[in-house]
Amino acid sequence: MRLRYTLHLVGILTFFLGLTMAFPLLFGLYYEDGSVMPLLKSIAVTLGSGLILYFVFRSARGETMSHREGMGVVAIGWAAAGFFGALPYYWGGVFSTFADAFFESISGFTTTGASVLSNIEMVPRGLLLWRSLTHWIGGMGIIVLSLAILPLLGVGGMQLYKAEVPGPVPDKLKPRIRDTALVLWKVYVLLSVAEAVLLMFGGMDLFEALCHTFGTMATGGFSTRNASIGSYHSPYIDTVVILFMLFAGINFSLHYQCLKGDLRAFWRNPEFRFFMGAVVLFVLVVSFNVYRTVYHTCSDAIRFGAFQVVSIITTTGYTTADFEKWPSLSQNILLFCMFLGACAGSTGGGMKCMRIMLLLKHSYKQLFSLIHPHAVTQVKLAGRPISNEVLHSIWGYFMLYLGLFILCSFLLAAMGVDVVTSFAAAAATVGNIGPGLGLVGPTDNYAHIPILGKWLLMLCMLLGRLEIYTVLLLFVPEFWRK
Amino acid sequence: MKIIIVGAGEVGFHIASRLSLENKDVVVVDKDADALRRVFENLDVQKVQGCGSSPAILEQAGIQEADILLAVTDSDEINLVASLFANMLSPATFKLARIRSEEYLKYQDALSKEPYGIDVMINPEDEAVKMVERLLQVPGAVDVGEFANGRIKLIGVRLEADCPVAGTKLVDLEKKTDNKNILVVAIIRNEKLIIPSGEDQLLAGDLIYFVSEEKEVKEALKIFGKRAEPFKKVLLVGGGNLGLKLAKALEGYSIHAKLIEKDHNRCNKLAEVLDKVVVLQGDGSDQGLLQEENVQDMDVVATLTGDEETNILTSLLAKRMGAHKTVTRINKLSYFPLVSAIGLDHIVSSRLAAVNSILQYVRRGKVLSAMALKGEEAEALEAVALETSDVVGKPLEQIPFPKGALVMAIIRGDEVIIPTGDSVILPQDRIIIFSTLQSIPQVEKALMVKLEYF
Repeated sequence: MRLRYTLHLVGILTFFLGLTMAFPLLFGLYYEDGSVMPLLKSIAVTLGSGLILYFVFRSARGETMSHREGMGVVAIGWAAAGFFGALPYYWGGVFSTFADAFFESISGFTTTGASVLSNIEMVPRGLLLWRSLTHWIGGMGIIVLSLAILPLLGVGGMQLYKAEVPGPVPDKLKPRIRDTALVLWKVYVLLSVAEAVLLMFGGMDLFEALCHTFGTMATGGFSTRNASIGSYHSPYIDTVVILFMLFAGINFSLHYQCLKGDLRAFWRNPEFRFFMGAVVLFVLVVSFNVYRTVYHTCSDAIRFGAFQVVSIITTTGYTTADFEKWPSLSQNILLFCMFLGACAGSTGGGMKCMRIMLLLKHSYKQLFSLIHPHAVTQVKLAGRPISNEVLHSIWGYFMLYLGLFILCSFLLAAMGVDVVTSFAAAAATVGNIGPGLGLVGPTDNYAHIPILGKWLLMLCMLLGRLEIYTVLLLFVPEFWRK
Repeated sequence: MKIIIVGAGEVGFHIASRLSLENKDVVVVDKDADALRRVFENLDVQKVQGCGSSPAILEQAGIQEADILLAVTDSDEINLVASLFANMLSPATFKLARIRSEEYLKYQDALSKEPYGIDVMINPEDEAVKMVERLLQVPGAVDVGEFANGRIKLIGVRLEADCPVAGTKLVDLEKKTDNKNILVVAIIRNEKLIIPSGEDQLLAGDLIYFVSEEKEVKEALKIFGKRAEPFKKVLLVGGGNLGLKLAKALEGYSIHAKLIEKDHNRCNKLAEVLDKVVVLQGDGSDQGLLQEENVQDMDVVATLTGDEETNILTSLLAKRMGAHKTVTRINKLSYFPLVSAIGLDHIVSSRLAAVNSILQYVRRGKVLSAMALKGEEAEALEAVALETSDVVGKPLEQIPFPKGALVMAIIRGDEVIIPTGDSVILPQDRIIIFSTLQSIPQVEKALMVKLEYF
């Protein structure tokens, strides 16, 4: 791998990230809340570092980018984003240690929404907006954003795109990668504007509407209130957020087709049907389960049940209720939703419906060939056969995902975290959800996890967001060999 | 501009790679998932898997919005059917098919009319034969391109150590040679392309490209220290389609040609068709046979069998035995960077020839012909200056031409002008522009931009 060339590109990404920090600065200036200086300092350092990387390694420009370099740029770029994104918190005095600031930043970019902040409402608003903005940038992807806006990355853009976009087989909507990225961002921005407007109708001011929109559309989960969406006590806001969490969890190419006038594109897509089927089923079971045991009216049961199921299955992590007080069946379903995740090509995390669906189909095929040993069958999706290569890579991903989850929960337990908490914390970070169960449940946060555990969880979030392979490669010695 | 390419083979891949670098919207269609993946992972293009001859697949690839369809699979039939269906689904799309069989090419005129509407049919072997013919006409050149029906030539020569102008600055070249109609447009030094200014020097070992009028080519070649007598003796190795076509073409010149072919029956057939060319039966890599046929006296030995490794070795052998020049047929484009390193003079590839001639048709505007230089880093384009174009009516100095591009000739009626900074382009002039690959989109824009807003 040409490390110099990789760092040259990381320089571009870093510079770009510095520019995005100007947005929260506007709010900081408006509210005069003490976030101006830390933001200004961070912008200067980030822009400067970007330029230094860019110019120092400029001689190393290449004409083509290999698969490896694409992965390298994405993995290192994301880690760098996490680092520079942490600067405003650190200089703003929000956290005492840099590790905490780093945790919050990584949690933001990976759209996890796991927080180490104990009292969110004390933090200056400019910094809170930055916190939510990291969600929004990370949701559609730093690379995809850069591809859409900067023509510089045109060469080898596909390698970068593949390494960042979730899902087993990323598809191109337009012949050129830049146009594809642009289309995805347009859809993303359009949906975000719609949600922000609707939330403002529900009584939020611009600042809160933007923060929650960023959190929803990116399936992140950072809120500006300690009690998350629950603090608004508004069925209207709950409904809007549920709706847009679902939108964010659906493959964005379907939104694009829909906007182009093909309304039936949703229904034709098997993954969409699977995802919606799962959502409806779980909402019904959970609502039935909490009716009379927790909530006394049917509408309350559905309202809170639906919100929590959608929030977890899309890996957003907003809460309106303390689901730890719910019956164990409901909690179990929510835990399962953490693994299932949203659709491929969405901003959501988890294993993705597409993969689970294909694995189920593949398992059934194995069963079928036991009954008919001579049968020739193929796993198909929407009438198209799926190659064995894709299936193998999905099985590989499945095993890595479970392996990562198990290893992480063991390590947390070894650090003295209790069983339920370590289990849920691992699942909630690898799947980019946010709140788990036990001591990291909906009413708690990650502040009390030991420092080593925080670093571990940061790694898990990054691995989860970039679909494991991209980050894991950096730890394989073969990758660095010339 | 949207372009659909049917066929992700060698030809399809290279066309796609050139076009995607020029920021065109390219969709590649192929049956073979592996070939398609190679294209998709290396280039910025969209892929559609399926047979290109299927109308459903063409629709899926978006034939209705496509400006150009290039059917370049290895199968004539698939190319034909794809073009026919494309015409049915979208008559406005420009359709080009790669066709090798003579039987089909005979009906080229009929096929170009409605209801068939295949605008252009390209025969890669014909293109390759033309390429070799051009090389044979200009001895001493490494690369030859023709513009304005051959009246202007773009010639590439390698400067030897004994070259009389080595060390000369380009500004001084004019005085030294007293010949105004030479313009050096590119220097390739150590594998790097330089678009020279007056201050650049010519050095021994450079590969330079210059433009010249046809009648002055011989003079020009002398200036660069190249022999100018035409080739007299040519030995062809391999009597396949390409060999036969070339042999037939050579019969039209006063060239003494011999053709070696291994297969007995094929030899009989060749002897039947050819009148002047001597047909020899034997192995072209047989040293004894080459000696017997006086390979050391040959001006050119062309190895044209279907096996490129054999061709390379035979050419090297012939060169070692004293042949002056070699022409080697290589189909694998990935071998090209090796060519000058291992000592081969010229290469001919029906695929590369097809790629080049197909690209001519893809060019936007009234581009008449195009030629790619070695390594495909630069191109020379011939175009008609439209009245609406930005380049018309001002001295060249004042035209904001993109970096890496220059006007290398203006043709006005019968007059050929090798331009200076004061030259003015008039409407309906034909201009030849030399440009690096990166600047091509801007050049196309400069030629066309205003027309688009009509």
